[in-house]
Amino acid sequence: MKEFQETLYDAISQNFRIDKMYFEQKTGHQHLMIFHNAVLGRVMTLDGVVQTTELDEFIYHEMMAHVPIFAHGNARRVLIIGGGDGGMLREVLRHSEVEHVTMVEIDAAVIDMAKKYLPNHSAGAFDDERAQIVIADGMNYVRETEDRFDVIISDSTDPIGPGEVLFTNDFYAQCKRILNEGGVMAAQNGVPFFQIDEVKNTRLRMSAHFSDQTFYSAAVPTYYGGIMTFAWGTDNAALRGTAIDELRARYQNAGFRTRYYSPEIHIASFALPQYVQDAI
Amino acid sequence: MKTRHIQYGASEAERDYYRSLVKQHGSPLLVVNRSKILQQYNTLKSYLPGVAFYYAIKAFPHPEVLHLLAEAGCHFDVASEGEIDLLKQLQVSGRRTIHTHPIKKDSHIRAALRGGSTTFVVDNIDELKKLIPYRSRTGVLLRVSFRSESATVDLSRKFGCAPGQVLELATEAQSLGVHIRGLSFHVGSQCANSDMHVSAINQCMQLIDECNQNKKNPMNMLDIGGGFPVNYVGDDIDLDTFFKPVGQALSQLSSDINIIAEPGRFLVAPAVTGIASVSGKARRGDYQWYYLDDGIYGSYSGQLFDHVIYPLQIFNTDETRTPSILAGPTCDSIDIIAEDVALPDMADGDLVIGHMMGAYTYATAATRFNSLAGANVIFVD
Ligand SMILES: Cc1ncc(COP(=O)(O)O)c(C=O)c1O
Repeated sequence: MKEFQETLYDAISQNFRIDKMYFEQKTGHQHLMIFHNAVLGRVMTLDGVVQTTELDEFIYHEMMAHVPIFAHGNARRVLIIGGGDGGMLREVLRHSEVEHVTMVEIDAAVIDMAKKYLPNHSAGAFDDERAQIVIADGMNYVRETEDRFDVIISDSTDPIGPGEVLFTNDFYAQCKRILNEGGVMAAQNGVPFFQIDEVKNTRLRMSAHFSDQTFYSAAVPTYYGGIMTFAWGTDNAALRGTAIDELRARYQNAGFRTRYYSPEIHIASFALPQYVQDAI
Repeated sequence: MKTRHIQYGASEAERDYYRSLVKQHGSPLLVVNRSKILQQYNTLKSYLPGVAFYYAIKAFPHPEVLHLLAEAGCHFDVASEGEIDLLKQLQVSGRRTIHTHPIKKDSHIRAALRGGSTTFVVDNIDELKKLIPYRSRTGVLLRVSFRSESATVDLSRKFGCAPGQVLELATEAQSLGVHIRGLSFHVGSQCANSDMHVSAINQCMQLIDECNQNKKNPMNMLDIGGGFPVNYVGDDIDLDTFFKPVGQALSQLSSDINIIAEPGRFLVAPAVTGIASVSGKARRGDYQWYYLDDGIYGSYSGQLFDHVIYPLQIFNTDETRTPSILAGPTCDSIDIIAEDVALPDMADGDLVIGHMMGAYTYATAATRFNSLAGANVIFVD
């Protein structure tokens, strides 16, 4: 019987049964797999770490897309860094007031592979004419682009590995540079229960560039270890306090259904456990 | 000084076998016997029951060897990103590895973590501090130095802290939030007797007890390294005499302690045979020179780096022998396999067989000197 055993931590690990291997690629130092698990559906792993599963991807993608976009209230232009599986693009494009999305993925092969083996993630989003796909290093892109955005979403991998630069001081500085006034960035920031240092590091680096920096959270079951955090950076301190009635109205207007996100969850997700508070 | 052993003559079956391999695959060759590797692995398992073995990839870093051992349930000792990549190609999970290089750049640590290798070996405070950014993900073995008088290759000079430093390092690690899983040692390679293994096990047992008295995270692993010897020629090693005391010492350990070992040489040395052939010859002064197609820059590199003199075999039994020199194929004068050996007359194309050529041969053979391709590695069952 084949098994995937996660290699994030020395002393603990989660195991998934591999019921069918769809895709496996070992290029250079990278090891990518897409397989089927009876409970989780299709699972994508990179270098021994779970990236996304069909069962719980909606929690991650809804929370990373809808929290900043509904908080902003008038996002026309959105930038996604990473997100090659297309799930983030799918959620962002559900907002009809969003006129343009640039998605910057470093590896064209990831997109092709995801279209083929994880079609439910993008669900056609790559064909939307509002979407522009750029194949480039995310760091180089934010350093060089002249475009400006209302919302930036950093859908990165683990900071140990290819996503490393997306957790640097320089990256946050450049994101700030290309945000329109009042804009906001949200960034994947790991599972604080086991990786509290990542919260501390991001806090330090991001708050140097944004006057309002915090985290919000959601529990994505296959990101083992309880809640995960999303880093939040903006110069518009009012955004995180957007009132519940306002959020309800925006959600109502948006006219789509979500499975995890709700205006109430939105508000609640900014309440952090004391151990995270203490760290920041 | 070790002396060269040459076996003159071979059975007809042997001769035919070697010649047919050369006919099929060319010369020079390194012929790896798969069943011999498995036999060595099983021998170790039976002498040291309950020990988990981590093959030291460096000994013979060939994917087929790794595949064979992986299938047999063996784990792996990795010391570089290249070694981790070899395992990735074979879909061996990083969870089946430990990273044993005591000195690392930050990029080495990150590469190991990406490869799923999360247990690291450390022997000083500076290296311990390098793991702070990764402390929530990693476990550490402290490498302790115990030098064996009987080892051919001393590996406790370059690495390892003194036993007296263990408690201090463990305490320091605890305050830094770095988790020490246990202790490791490597007394040296090709140890003629196991006295130092036994003494190191006993001392580590005491050190672990001592450390565990005031630690909230008890150590629970002991890595006894490699160093298990093979019989080249005249080493006269009796496996019972070597392993029984080691097994005995290990049986004294608390059952909470996971014991692992990192055998390299023992698993591969006897499983590989080198085949070289005479490319040309010359009479120079008092000596008959034979120039082979493999040498010190190739499979015989172990004679230089690993201090081993491989037993040779030639087929000709003619008793008229002249003082001869067996030289390798490069233009360098250091490239000499055997000085002043008595050999019968050999002709171009005659084969020279090298036995016990598994450990640290192919591993160090990858030079580019003269752009020679080096021996072809083939596998037999
Ligand atoms: C850390 C470590 N482990 C294991 C080995 C393998 O030793 P041996 O081939 O003697 O078993 C070596 C050899 O250099 C080593 O350095």
